[in-house]
Amino acid sequence: MSNKLEAYLEEISHYLSGRAEREEILSEIRSHILEKAAAEHGGTGDDAVDRAIGAYGPPRRVAERYAEDRPIIAPAYKRHLVRYTTLLFAVHAALTVFGVITGKTFVIFPFLYMPVLGVFDAVMYLPMAFLADLGLVALVLYFVTQSGKDVKLPWPKIGVDLDEVKPPRKAFWGRVGTAIGAVVMLAVTDFAFYIFARYHTIFLYLTDGSDPRPLLTPEAGRYLSMIVIAQLALSTMTLLIKLFTRSPWVNIVSNVVSLGLIGLILRQTFDNLFAVDISEKLLRVVKGNIKITLLVIALIITYELVRDIVRVSLRKLDHVVPNK
Amino acid sequence: MTKQDPEPDIGSLETEMNRGFLHILALALLEKDMYGYSMVKHIETLGYRVEENTLYPLLRRLEKNGWIASKWDLSEDRPRKFYAVTAAGRALRASLLDVWKIQDRILDKLIKENSHVE
Repeated sequence: MSNKLEAYLEEISHYLSGRAEREEILSEIRSHILEKAAAEHGGTGDDAVDRAIGAYGPPRRVAERYAEDRPIIAPAYKRHLVRYTTLLFAVHAALTVFGVITGKTFVIFPFLYMPVLGVFDAVMYLPMAFLADLGLVALVLYFVTQSGKDVKLPWPKIGVDLDEVKPPRKAFWGRVGTAIGAVVMLAVTDFAFYIFARYHTIFLYLTDGSDPRPLLTPEAGRYLSMIVIAQLALSTMTLLIKLFTRSPWVNIVSNVVSLGLIGLILRQTFDNLFAVDISEKLLRVVKGNIKITLLVIALIITYELVRDIVRVSLRKLDHVVPNK
Repeated sequence: MTKQDPEPDIGSLETEMNRGFLHILALALLEKDMYGYSMVKHIETLGYRVEENTLYPLLRRLEKNGWIASKWDLSEDRPRKFYAVTAAGRALRASLLDVWKIQDRILDKLIKENSHVE
């Protein structure tokens, strides 16, 4: 028996894994290939078998022909996948924010366990939460689809219609706006960089007629300045790239980097932050406000990130499962 | 399955059309016992070509529904699986042929009507 034939059947078997009639299917294919090799290629030697295998097709494609027509998730539930995930993630995000503010743990066994999270943890946690929500909803819809029953799933009217979000129009004035934005951001970035090169910080305050003085301590000032300049440069580059492409990946990459930069800021304890005298009470208020502001910005970026990922995924789904 | 002269390229639409046709073809072919490879060769002599890796899953589905039956013949050097149409398969074939004839008649009529218009 040809080793190549056995290796070929083994690979098909791998893709058929779990099917009760696997052995029978492999026997049929083995019989056919040997028959063909003998009849058309002069025997059942390695060379002849190899040619017969080549004509039969790649193992994965062969195995897929045996798959039932039923999709993993019925096309009719595609919108449910988006809607339910949106709602679940909205609840998840709200609980996260509530948890950060109140310092409480939430448990909805076995679906949700949210320990007390800091602001930085929460920002890092949300994208994971989205994937978990998407997975949970997909799992439920998978079981509904595989049941083969005509289940009418509820259609909540609330929630953001991420599935109906349309890509931006390719209007002339839109491009002009992007171009102006890019120029302004380029100027701001350049200016910030100039200030940083001169004073080693961009956080300055002016006193009467004298040179500007650093608002923050040298270490904190340099660190935060670099992050802010990186964010400005990122925004500028994003706008410039968007002049030439409408690919949603531009926003996705940009937003992921932005979240990372916000994360870098939130990792700071903000102790020994100001170079000027400031009361303890005011310092606490300022710290709290910075954290809340950054959290809100992170939430907005996360929303945009999720929206763009959904948009890209839907486009890919449309390619995989053409509408019939 | 594709026509031997595949012009113009109608790709997936042809595949969809062929799905039903292949069912009738297999049920008609199996009026006498045949094994997979012999079916492929026989179809080729009729001016069509069926992809080998398409035929066997189709036969499996037909058998699962009781429209054909199969048995292994181990008397030769190589084991061969022979298939034959069942009574239920014959009834199905007759129904499918009726559907196909009606569709063919309708299309024929429409094409004639269109030729008058042109």
